[in-house]
Amino acid sequence: MNKVLTKTKGFFTGIPGKIKNFFTGLPAKFKKKFAYAKEIITQANGKTCASMLIMGLGQLLYKRWMRGIMFLFLQAAFIAYFVLRGASDLFGFFTLGQVEGNAWYGIEGDNSVIMLLMGILSIFALIFYIAIYIVNVKDAYYLQCLDDTRKELPTAKDDAAKLLDKDFYKTALTLPVIGVCIFSILPIVFMILIAFTDYGGDTVPPALVSWVGLENFQKILTLSQFAPTFGKIFVWNMVWAILSTAINYFAGLGLAILLNKKCVKGKAFWRAFPVLAYAIPGFITLLGFKTMFSNGGPINYYIQQAGGSAVEFLGLNSTWSARIIGLCVNAWISVPSIMLLATGILSNINQDLYEAARVDGASAWKQFIKITLPYVLFATTPVLLSQFIGNFNNFGIFYFLRDGYISEGYFLASDTDLLINWLYTMSIDNNYYSIGAAISLIIFIITSVISLAVYVLSPSYKQEETFR
Amino acid sequence: MKKSVPVICAHFVIILAVIIALGVASVVNGSTEAEGNEKFTGELETNCTLRILENDTAKEQGYLDALLTAFNEEYAEYGIVAVDANMDQYTDLETGGPYGYGPDVLYQANDSLMKYVDGKHIMPLPVEEMECYSYISDKAWDAYTSTVSGQEYVFGVPVNIQQPLLYYRKDLLPDNWEDEWDDDKDGIPDMVEYWTDLYRYSKQIKEESGGTKYGYMKSLNDGYFASGYFFSYGGYVVGGDDGRDTTDIVFSNGDGYLGGKIIWQLASVMNSECEDDSITKNAYYRLASGAYFATMTTPDVYSLFYEELVSEYESQGYTTSEAEALTEENLVVTTVPKLPVSGDLEDESQGFKEMTVMGGVNGYAVSSYTKYPNAALAFVEFATSYEMITTRSEMLGISPARSDVAEEQGGLNEVIYENLDNGTIYVMPSVRALSQVWTLLQTFCAILAADALSGDNVYTDMEVLKARLVQVDEQIYAAINTLVS
Amino acid sequence: MKTVNKKLYKAKSKKVLNVVITYCVLLIVCFIFFFPCLWLILASFSKSGSIYSFDGFFPSEYGLDAFKTLFTDTTMYNYPKWFLNTLFIAAMSCIIGTILTILTAYVMSRFRFKSRKAMMKGTLVLGMFPSFMGTIAVYLLMTQFGLINQRWGLILIYSAQAPMGYMVQKGFFDTIPYSIDEAARIDGASNFQVFMKFTLPMSKPMLVYTALTSFTWPWSDYILPKMLLQDKDLYTVAVGLMSVADDATQFARFAAGSIIIAIPIIILYFCLVKYMINGMSAGAVKQ
Repeated sequence: MNKVLTKTKGFFTGIPGKIKNFFTGLPAKFKKKFAYAKEIITQANGKTCASMLIMGLGQLLYKRWMRGIMFLFLQAAFIAYFVLRGASDLFGFFTLGQVEGNAWYGIEGDNSVIMLLMGILSIFALIFYIAIYIVNVKDAYYLQCLDDTRKELPTAKDDAAKLLDKDFYKTALTLPVIGVCIFSILPIVFMILIAFTDYGGDTVPPALVSWVGLENFQKILTLSQFAPTFGKIFVWNMVWAILSTAINYFAGLGLAILLNKKCVKGKAFWRAFPVLAYAIPGFITLLGFKTMFSNGGPINYYIQQAGGSAVEFLGLNSTWSARIIGLCVNAWISVPSIMLLATGILSNINQDLYEAARVDGASAWKQFIKITLPYVLFATTPVLLSQFIGNFNNFGIFYFLRDGYISEGYFLASDTDLLINWLYTMSIDNNYYSIGAAISLIIFIITSVISLAVYVLSPSYKQEETFR
Repeated sequence: MKKSVPVICAHFVIILAVIIALGVASVVNGSTEAEGNEKFTGELETNCTLRILENDTAKEQGYLDALLTAFNEEYAEYGIVAVDANMDQYTDLETGGPYGYGPDVLYQANDSLMKYVDGKHIMPLPVEEMECYSYISDKAWDAYTSTVSGQEYVFGVPVNIQQPLLYYRKDLLPDNWEDEWDDDKDGIPDMVEYWTDLYRYSKQIKEESGGTKYGYMKSLNDGYFASGYFFSYGGYVVGGDDGRDTTDIVFSNGDGYLGGKIIWQLASVMNSECEDDSITKNAYYRLASGAYFATMTTPDVYSLFYEELVSEYESQGYTTSEAEALTEENLVVTTVPKLPVSGDLEDESQGFKEMTVMGGVNGYAVSSYTKYPNAALAFVEFATSYEMITTRSEMLGISPARSDVAEEQGGLNEVIYENLDNGTIYVMPSVRALSQVWTLLQTFCAILAADALSGDNVYTDMEVLKARLVQVDEQIYAAINTLVS
Repeated sequence: MKTVNKKLYKAKSKKVLNVVITYCVLLIVCFIFFFPCLWLILASFSKSGSIYSFDGFFPSEYGLDAFKTLFTDTTMYNYPKWFLNTLFIAAMSCIIGTILTILTAYVMSRFRFKSRKAMMKGTLVLGMFPSFMGTIAVYLLMTQFGLINQRWGLILIYSAQAPMGYMVQKGFFDTIPYSIDEAARIDGASNFQVFMKFTLPMSKPMLVYTALTSFTWPWSDYILPKMLLQDKDLYTVAVGLMSVADDATQFARFAAGSIIIAIPIIILYFCLVKYMINGMSAGAVKQ
């Protein structure tokens, strides 16, 4: 524990130094890049210049058809996109529309939200284009250098081979990166930018949305209802994320180890039960558990049959019973997947280590502490982290289990709500999108600092190379 | 060096020039206001398909099919075909409509439809020219009337009136009700006529059965039904001249707190299931099994109660036709009982008054994004004709908004029509912010119910109750207005 | 001699005790996981639709009505069609998503390139953003691409977002010793060949895990299909079942529908289980 503390402390006290290093390191970094750019600019011959004018032209002049056509195609595609809609999208990003639509008379008008979204996309396209342009120039210059030193120019076949070997990462990452940019990063950038507009309330299309700067943040800081609710929910959210991650992780790991024991016969049979739970979609489980614990549900039925009075598990005043049920239900849902993963990882451990340990007379517990745990922890730190993030933003549990209450002393939230539930009530139920976006941005900054710190300190990040 | 810099500059200058030229052109172009056209020209579009969004009950009971077939036959010569939009009945036109994914004609409740007005998602309709205009009460038209930039428009055509009704089992009345439970000798059992007697009867059933059977049961936290008790004693939601002022929501107005007292008292004859939506869900079955004597809900779910009771009788050994006959005989739907003026279910001394209930008017509206507005209007006209409304009412058991149909059918439907006219139905306000009222009201009602059942009795002190209700009003005000810029 | 026997006996009894405790714990765990499932299964065989007709956990009368209506009564709830939609969407997203995720994870584990650390930290940070906030943007984006009411639209999103969760797989690849790669490369194999011929076959447990997760996610996701599919005939089972769940008298049908969508995943598991257990046989490579 102490070790972790000093490490964490070390991380935070190290920050100023790191930042300083980063900035003092910058000039050198830039110098290097700058020098290379200068070299290209000064040394470029005619063919390279041709590539600078029209992408791919130089490569074509070197008779490297594949490369040339590829760059030329990208150039054409880019120009076509900008002529067709990119340019107006880009300008739309700044104006966010000028004419309000009126569907009664078939006047289409400007849809500010769409304009914002497509504007971001056009900025992405512009950045992408500049990156491609630089690659193109470098590529032409590379050919030039080879040609100058009378070396063989790479053929299309060589290029293809390289893309499957040394540059395999480029081939492999192209599609994932494009997909993630459009469907994960673009929406996030969009929501972040929404925090700086007045989108929401009555200002939804066809009404025109406009940029308002930091007004939403100002509102959050000055409204007296916000801070106490935020504080209370944040504390509970942290407790929830830590507890549920720990419970799920150790229960899953424990279960995997238990099933991995030599004395357990019919492993597939035993493993089938948690998998059964895993196979049922989460929302069904949640609705099922809600019914079970509700006031008229079967559990209360048995309590009443036994002569007791009905217990409000998820009712209004049942803060802690609802929270504990939430933790248990979450474990029920998440443990099987962690168990499966841990099983895979456990089977990966070198059995010789155990053999050696047994020869040395180490107890089962010692073996677990010295061999299993470090190995599993190393391999699953990312899982632990993604579990933590997932639990921190676990929307479903309390949305399904305990919806429709507003607790005393909370602003539009109940005492089991996590930040994400609060955000949902605010932005979707009550359509205050811009305020919701502003709050989520604040949460986002807090949580990402925490998780980055954990990640950078984690063994699998620090000693990525250990297990090679 | 000499060549490369100008070349790079040339490349980017060209690209930038293209972008800026096109971008500026688009901005200049975009700032000119486009001319629009009036959509209802009276000329029917031909050879088109209309997508109709109806509610689930209409679909389930086969009314939608009947309506579409009749319409398609009538308009076959124009090539107009109406089809089921096949979407969720609560679909929000605002999300799909502007992008071309909405239905052409929608059938929804007035509060859902009217929230589309702000964004002009539904068309103002030339209702004066429609056949049904004079038959529909002004109150129903009011629910669809709104002022946009100084001018009054009507946005929908009322079809049916929704109000909470009392469902009860006639065969669960005490055998001697005519002697013991009919003080006014009008042939109607008192327990379905007065809340005080319903309360007394419920208390009796609960005590005699030892908590396995109940009289009146309802999820008390349901704001739609609970709000009626507050309205009856002076409370109101969204005041202002046009009934759209969201800064003016006062449940505690007048003696509104007495509504809270009645909820508290009703809870005491129920069980903890009234604190959440359990009863709303189990009432269908439990009313059939005889565990509940009565409940309150809207007319459109009649078929669910009916089916459950039929299958209950069948399991008792009756044949299907016998079971259906018994169900029709014993499952009674009536208007809600009268409330005591005193605001105390144990005090009848000051007489009774009608209960004001939250109600609504469901109707048709035409999406602004339809490509065939005139055909859509023709459909609405067709669907609100005397014949179609009569069929609808007969097949679905709804209360028609047309006076001629209501009169023709008489009975409960006529009473409901009159209720709307004389104001005992408080028409659901058509404002977006209303959604924020429900959660808070719901929590408050659940607190009252829990207090009554746990025996804490905090809210038996009227001053405490009053103060708490004022606090609820403040919370609602804060929820709606803090974030509005 | 006696002491040795005693010791042996003690060791043996300790072992027996160990086994007994292990099985007890297993039984309890299995009960915990099985009971809610059993409840759901029994509910699906209930004769009456309402859950409130049950005696506690158990239906008072049994029958097959729920399953019958599930497949025959399709006017309101077209379950067979929903099932096929879901199967199609989940299968396609599973194939594409698994390929992309595994590729990403492998590259992140084995290659060292300039923007690698930045990308790793970036995906970590992006994962912290509340996802439903982004769904508004995804919806708007899909309206622009004309992919509303299209099953391919969903497949595109699921597959494109899948690589964001590459961390687990990367952690796994990190534990595969480099010595294998190096040996293969000395024999003249390219990185792609190493990946296809050595790394992939050794990663079956991880492949199975990835395939299962990228199958189950679309299989049970609710928010995205609810938003993107508006035509009832295009619904996935999750969206459709939620509409059944709203109907208080249809609990048995809801349970029956739930049971049926759980079956493919259970079958998948039983078909793939040997990979999960034997996939990486212990000690394939001595460290």
